[in-house]
Amino acid sequence: MPRTLTRRELARITGLSALVLPWAGRAARGGQNTFRGRVGVAKLAPPAAGGALDPALARTAVARAIVAATGAASARVALAALFKPSDTVGIKLNCLGGRHLSPHPELVEALVQLLVEAGVAAERIVVFERSSRELQRAGFVVRRDGASYRCFGVDNDYDPTPSTSGAIGSCFARLVSTTCSALIGFGVVKDHDLAGVSASLKNWYGVIHNPNKYHDTNCDPYVADVCNHPFLRDKLRLTLLDGLVAQCHGGPAFRSDATFPLGVVAASTDPVAADAWAWRVIDAERSRRGLPTLAAAKRAPRFIATAARYGLGVGDPAAIQEVAG
Amino acid sequence: MRHRLDRREAARLGAAALLASAMPRPARGRTPPVGSPLEGDDLPARQASWWKSLGEGRVECQLCPRGCQVADRERGACGVRENRGGTYFTLVWGAACSVHVDPIEKKPFFHVLPGAQALSFATAGCNVECKFCQNWEISQFRPEQVPSQYLPPDALAALARQRGVPLLSATYSEPVVFWEYVRDTALAARRVGVRTTVVSNGYIQEAPLKEVLPYLAAVKVDLKSFRDAFYRDLVRGELKPVLKALETIRAAGVWLEIVVLLIPTMNDSEEEIRDLTRWVKATLGHEVPVHFTRFHPTYRLTNLPVTPVATLERARSIGLAEGLSYVYVGNLPGHAGENTVCPGCGAVLVRRFGFSVLENRLAKGACPTCGRAIPGVWS
Repeated sequence: MPRTLTRRELARITGLSALVLPWAGRAARGGQNTFRGRVGVAKLAPPAAGGALDPALARTAVARAIVAATGAASARVALAALFKPSDTVGIKLNCLGGRHLSPHPELVEALVQLLVEAGVAAERIVVFERSSRELQRAGFVVRRDGASYRCFGVDNDYDPTPSTSGAIGSCFARLVSTTCSALIGFGVVKDHDLAGVSASLKNWYGVIHNPNKYHDTNCDPYVADVCNHPFLRDKLRLTLLDGLVAQCHGGPAFRSDATFPLGVVAASTDPVAADAWAWRVIDAERSRRGLPTLAAAKRAPRFIATAARYGLGVGDPAAIQEVAG
Repeated sequence: MRHRLDRREAARLGAAALLASAMPRPARGRTPPVGSPLEGDDLPARQASWWKSLGEGRVECQLCPRGCQVADRERGACGVRENRGGTYFTLVWGAACSVHVDPIEKKPFFHVLPGAQALSFATAGCNVECKFCQNWEISQFRPEQVPSQYLPPDALAALARQRGVPLLSATYSEPVVFWEYVRDTALAARRVGVRTTVVSNGYIQEAPLKEVLPYLAAVKVDLKSFRDAFYRDLVRGELKPVLKALETIRAAGVWLEIVVLLIPTMNDSEEEIRDLTRWVKATLGHEVPVHFTRFHPTYRLTNLPVTPVATLERARSIGLAEGLSYVYVGNLPGHAGENTVCPGCGAVLVRRFGFSVLENRLAKGACPTCGRAIPGVWS
């Protein structure tokens, strides 16, 4: 499965790096957020109820979103600039919503394939979630070995001692602290009863052992504190959101009467901007339905502004640049 | 600390399982065999007792003062109660992660059957997050993250009888989060002549506390500080509800002891100790024992030293000077402050070394020298 870049691809990347050396360099150092405030969005209609996505269409949408987010010539080029062949790449899904409100497996497969084509060996890619059971419920096949990419839950594999970041003190999943050298967040676009929004940053609650301790005050500053921990701040390179179906109310669990066909895949190297974009999308749908805004409902996702203050990205929804893919 | 039943014990407790089967069954899933390991979704989810629906699938927990409002598929701050489709469940009823026979002095209770053994049990989870938690490896984790075994109340009571111990003790993590389990165990234990004690942070609402107190022989509360700022910053709780719980326990006539872990620079000022001991005397009475115990750096508070002996001795002196009759020092084996002394004549009544009782001179709960009655649970 590992694939070497062609000379043409290498030349493209070299050319790209001349243009974007600052961010490519930062990515290579393990930084993130190279295109601050920019969210790439590609259209993709949700499948019919009970149906699967066309893999080719899924791949196209993921690739376009990544290209739009980075301005690269292709998704392969963008990913090759963000991830080194020596990286072990962890892709954190958010599958709490079950089969109806989790990243579609076809989209995740497409991302994995693009990573492989960008030079990351399949066996160095780990698709993971808080528990294996949640992955299975969302339609993923759990596998811990073999030639293909890995896919399993953190389950109980945490660091033996807690680590502090701001107000949080948690044992992090060893996948995040130790195994992976680079991370991708792959969430959904949904309302959260306490946090306001659960899309990009909130997804990382799934890598600490005690998220239940950090839901006071709209999860602020706790979500930002988790993401500001060096394990994440230095490794998180890319965020994707499955927005084929989004949910504007009643989250984080799936609620059929609150979902709507948003019909997009979003990508960003700025995890804060991805959340600010999701906030804007959710509030727009709430407005359309005559629901109060998240702020009026007393659950504005304040952690977004906190994360922006930490320097993790752009948090002002009005400042987000949405680029169509 | 953790104890897993061997096959013989599990077989013996099979009979208890028959008794347990007469109790309300878990809301979903099969009842696991007694003593069997619990993992993941095998947790014995059972409808919780103290909560209300908020509509739209949301619930409000009414067990502890946090009053968590919990969305569907989410858990309260304790990590052991989960909203499933608008119904609140406890995931730790019968899910014992620690079972051990300890001396009652380890809790510590110094006025409850000195030298007696207590079958002590706990589940995962806690409703606060003390940065100095000594049992964080069970209290700060969710039940599916901690190896547990299914020990329903009747099995625990039967195990206590089998071991010949007169007491059960809900301890180690935080009994408030497994309050239904405590209640049902205390009832089961009472049926077989075993009494139940609780070691708690006292961070509980009044209604569930009052409901269970009649089944308890004694409660020890960790009063972590007498300052709300301490509770907010180091405990992520509040002082006021704890003080209210202490009053409720005392008013119910259940034997009460208080432990104050003295942490250098955090809660060891003379002013705070004086405020605390004055409040105890004025509100609860001079006969409530107060234990000042020694801190050891752990969990998230590893930058502070162990409590100096002089600090503990000073706290004890302040308590006695303020008029409390029974003030002890703890985690200082061999210190004279571990002994129970008659406040009337000064005679040593119970001489201890750590968790061991070296001598018990109490005669029917009274000082053999001057005849003064000593409060406690002595028989």
